[in-house]
Amino acid sequence: MTDLSHIRNFCIIAHVDHGKTTLSDRILELTRTVEMRDMKEQLLDSMDLERERGITIKSHPVSMVYRARNGEDYLFNLIDTPGHVDFSYEVSRSLAACEGAMLLIDAAQGIEAQTVANAHLATEQGLEIVPVINKVDLPSADVPAIMVQLEDVLAIPADEAVLTSGKTGIGIEDLLEAAVARVPSPRWADVEGLRVLIFDCIYDAYKGVICYVRVFSGSVKMGDQIMTMGDERKMQVKEVGRFSPAMTKQDSLNPGDVGYIVTNLRDVADLKLGDTITHSANPTKEMLPGYKEVSPMVFSGIYPIDTSDYNKLKSSMGKLRLNDAAFVYQSENSVALGFGFRCGFLGLLHMEIIQERIRREYDLDVISTYPSVVYLVTKTDGEKLEVHNPVHLPDPSVIEFIEEPMILASIHIPSTSIGDVLALVSEKRGVCEHTETIDGQRVMLVCNLPLNEILIDFNDRLKSITHGYGSMDYEMNGYQKAKLCRLDIMVNAEPVDAFSSIVHLDKAEGRGRALCKRLKEILPKQMFKIAIQAGIGSNIVARETISAYRKDVTAKCYGGDISRKRKLLEKQKEGKKRMKNIGSVSIPQDAFIKILKTSDGGSN
Amino acid sequence: MNKAGESAVDPVLSVYCHVPFCASTCDFCAFYQEKPRRGDLDRYLAAMDTEFALLPKDRVVDTVFWGGGTPGLLAAKDLERLGRSLLDNLKQPPSEWTIEMAPSAVKEDKLAVLRDLGVTRISMGVQSFHPELLESLGRLHRPNQIYTAWERVQAAGFPQTNLDLMFAIPNQSIEQWEADIREAARLGPTHLSTYCLTFEEDTALYVKLSQGKVSIDEERELQFYERGWELLAELGYAQYEVSNFAKPDAACLHNVNTWRMQEWIGCGPSAASQYEGQRYQRPSNLDEWAKGMEAGLPPRTECVDLDASILLADALVFGLRMNAGCDLDLIAKQFPAPDVLAQLEPLLSRLAREGLAEREGSKIRLTHEGRLVCDAIGSSILETIAD
Ligand SMILES: Nc1nc2c(ncn2[C@@H]2O[C@H](COP(=O)(O)OP(=O)(O)OP(=O)(O)O)[C@@H](O)[C@H]2O)c(=O)[nH]1
Ligand code: SF4
Ligand SMILES: [Mg+2]
Repeated sequence: MTDLSHIRNFCIIAHVDHGKTTLSDRILELTRTVEMRDMKEQLLDSMDLERERGITIKSHPVSMVYRARNGEDYLFNLIDTPGHVDFSYEVSRSLAACEGAMLLIDAAQGIEAQTVANAHLATEQGLEIVPVINKVDLPSADVPAIMVQLEDVLAIPADEAVLTSGKTGIGIEDLLEAAVARVPSPRWADVEGLRVLIFDCIYDAYKGVICYVRVFSGSVKMGDQIMTMGDERKMQVKEVGRFSPAMTKQDSLNPGDVGYIVTNLRDVADLKLGDTITHSANPTKEMLPGYKEVSPMVFSGIYPIDTSDYNKLKSSMGKLRLNDAAFVYQSENSVALGFGFRCGFLGLLHMEIIQERIRREYDLDVISTYPSVVYLVTKTDGEKLEVHNPVHLPDPSVIEFIEEPMILASIHIPSTSIGDVLALVSEKRGVCEHTETIDGQRVMLVCNLPLNEILIDFNDRLKSITHGYGSMDYEMNGYQKAKLCRLDIMVNAEPVDAFSSIVHLDKAEGRGRALCKRLKEILPKQMFKIAIQAGIGSNIVARETISAYRKDVTAKCYGGDISRKRKLLEKQKEGKKRMKNIGSVSIPQDAFIKILKTSDGGSN
Repeated sequence: MNKAGESAVDPVLSVYCHVPFCASTCDFCAFYQEKPRRGDLDRYLAAMDTEFALLPKDRVVDTVFWGGGTPGLLAAKDLERLGRSLLDNLKQPPSEWTIEMAPSAVKEDKLAVLRDLGVTRISMGVQSFHPELLESLGRLHRPNQIYTAWERVQAAGFPQTNLDLMFAIPNQSIEQWEADIREAARLGPTHLSTYCLTFEEDTALYVKLSQGKVSIDEERELQFYERGWELLAELGYAQYEVSNFAKPDAACLHNVNTWRMQEWIGCGPSAASQYEGQRYQRPSNLDEWAKGMEAGLPPRTECVDLDASILLADALVFGLRMNAGCDLDLIAKQFPAPDVLAQLEPLLSRLAREGLAEREGSKIRLTHEGRLVCDAIGSSILETIAD
């Protein structure tokens, strides 16, 4: 058991790609937590998807021992966090388990939207912030400018900044010394009784539900009867341990420790993240401050390509949900796609990742529908409805008005691109409420925008307008009335409910045209010609025709070829199986995603 | 002449012999073949005797086809031995007997032997009359060898003759294609086969394709197909299958039998059979095949048990490649799988509605447009049944 004065709990926070995980690598090396021969780049990004995409999706805790310059050993519990805005809830949960936060700033990029957002989150939770200017090895690094930004934007004294490079290893020891000197030792340790914060939960097929925890007071060990204070769920401790970074069994977890508790629960849904664990027999009095529950903002349908996979899909969603409380789903059905699920996500990246995990980890072919936000509909008879799926939008004749969710976006951009960004904001039906100067080169625009409009391609457009230097953070900002309607897409005169979307009336036509055009590009030519139309009610606003392909024949085909030929045709058939038949047209499963990804998919 | 499978409910029987020897390997070739070595030849001929001995003695074999490889590469005496051995095991001589020959291997003595054996049809792999195109195919013969060979074939007086032509060869122009067709027609065979060059895996051309030295251009291939079909019709060769054209009554019955899902027995390495409810193949390896034959254990690979629904589907898939199309009542009688036909009905009527097929009573045949997408139609048929 380490003396509290020798424990430091901190997380690494930053804007996406500012080098958190790479810096963690160097820390793991310097503290010899991972043997050199087991080392690999971005080691803490352990999921396949994280490694492939080079981004962190989940927070990763790791414990290590650092021998400081004063000759004493310190137990560090570090949590690497994701930087992408979709996963900011992961960051706030990790912060709650720490006393300090290393706030990284890319020396070339400077302060960006999530830098500010995450710094605020850390301050709100009473954490000590250690500013770190990272990637100082880059030729384009501009440390003095970042120092000015630190003071001006975040009101952090520039002389507190530690200069590091996760690439060359410069400054890592200084950073760890700063952790010793500046991060407070574990707080609230002298409260009576066991108080443990659940900051994450995973489901392991062999062990069951495993909680990622931070112990504030008391101590917990195998065999303890514990319960959550929020919903008084009782459970038994089957194992406790630390992350080093693999789960490593310990006799007990004590105040200040970050580690895991294997419980006898089988369903993660039984637990609420942010809840406090205590001993059932002698519970502590007061719960730890928990966190706001996150609510999904983007909804889309996920359907199995092969209808007989419905149950498999259902169980895989259940399993995914076990490790991802932010993902919600419920069953629904679609005329075009059959039985499937309406799913809620934190954002588009989250949506993409869930879909990909379903495909990969569960080997399921799925198709997902056009994403939508939640609209509030007030009918003429006064009834109010929440509409998660465009198909459920009532007939216009019974709608009094529709409200859409708004966001308040903080958009950080170089001053030179302000005109273009303002044009983009207004194209997206947004209003710029005020602007703030960050420094001589950068400004922050605070804009009120419909959430729906930023879903599609806002971020990509922002990045391209600002040559990569623009970034955005947002929070929900209530609902606002808008002139909205449902845009339907018909394939060979059959409406494809899965392609329906709710759009602003003024944009419906342009959007309809863009969608038809894009569909024409995406849908492979088929044996028969395909008519694609976009319509609002019975009013067709756009149409395209995909001509049938004219040649699909192989010349030779004799006795010996019959089996071979059949195999070829079977192969062709298998290829088609990966598509969904709608209105007797085969639609590739990635069609919806592809439509989304086009720059003109969402606008005109 | 027997109208191959058109009316009989009892399947017609054919025999295919694979002669796995070629002087060198053509760049586009994916067939099983080896260099002819005396030892191998003798072993082959002996094992073929065993193959033939296995042929059913109580059934009439309507057609025989010797393909390869290059059957015509065998010396006259080897051809004679192979032919006699076959005839000894047949109830009666076949009504159609085809042998494939490469122009460079057509010799008078061989032709005389073949005539005596009762071969009725010579099929010659011409591919093109343009030296540079022959060159790019890695073919062995030169145009003048084609003419010499043709004169010899004509002089020998076989009732039926076929020339194979190839199109969409890299660098071939549409004019060259037309010229090849005209030249072949001028020679006046009873039958012409035209093949779009395909890039089969494990061929020299495929390697070039994957290296980006040549490319596939669907649009260009389409032009070649259409121009070929048009010109051949003008020249009096009626199309009766995607790649086969004939003067009146000169269709190759052997091939029609296979497309009508009748029965055939394949003899020799890599030869495929469809016989007594099973599809299977001999190993594509001379040694492995010969060993099996020598041990009295004729080797079968790639076995598939057939049932009426597979046969019905295939009768449609392959039957629709023929201009005559299919008679649904007839195939329903031959391959009784009523559910399958019912399942297919919506697709078939859609094909007709969209102008890809024509229906008349119980008959269905593809239109010109339909024939050009017959692979897609075939896979839709299989897909519909599988669902
Ligand atoms: N030149 C230089 N490149 C760095 C440094 N640190 C990280 N990088 C590069 O920056 C990119 C992002 O690094 P990560 O460590 O994945 O960044 P991150 O902050 O963990 O990213 P997210 O978790 O997705 O928010 C990678 O391509 C790294 O190789 C550094 O100190 N110098
Ligand atoms: S002659 Fe025929 S079998 Fe022999 S290599 Fe050429 S194409 Fe292939
Ligand atoms: Mg990371």
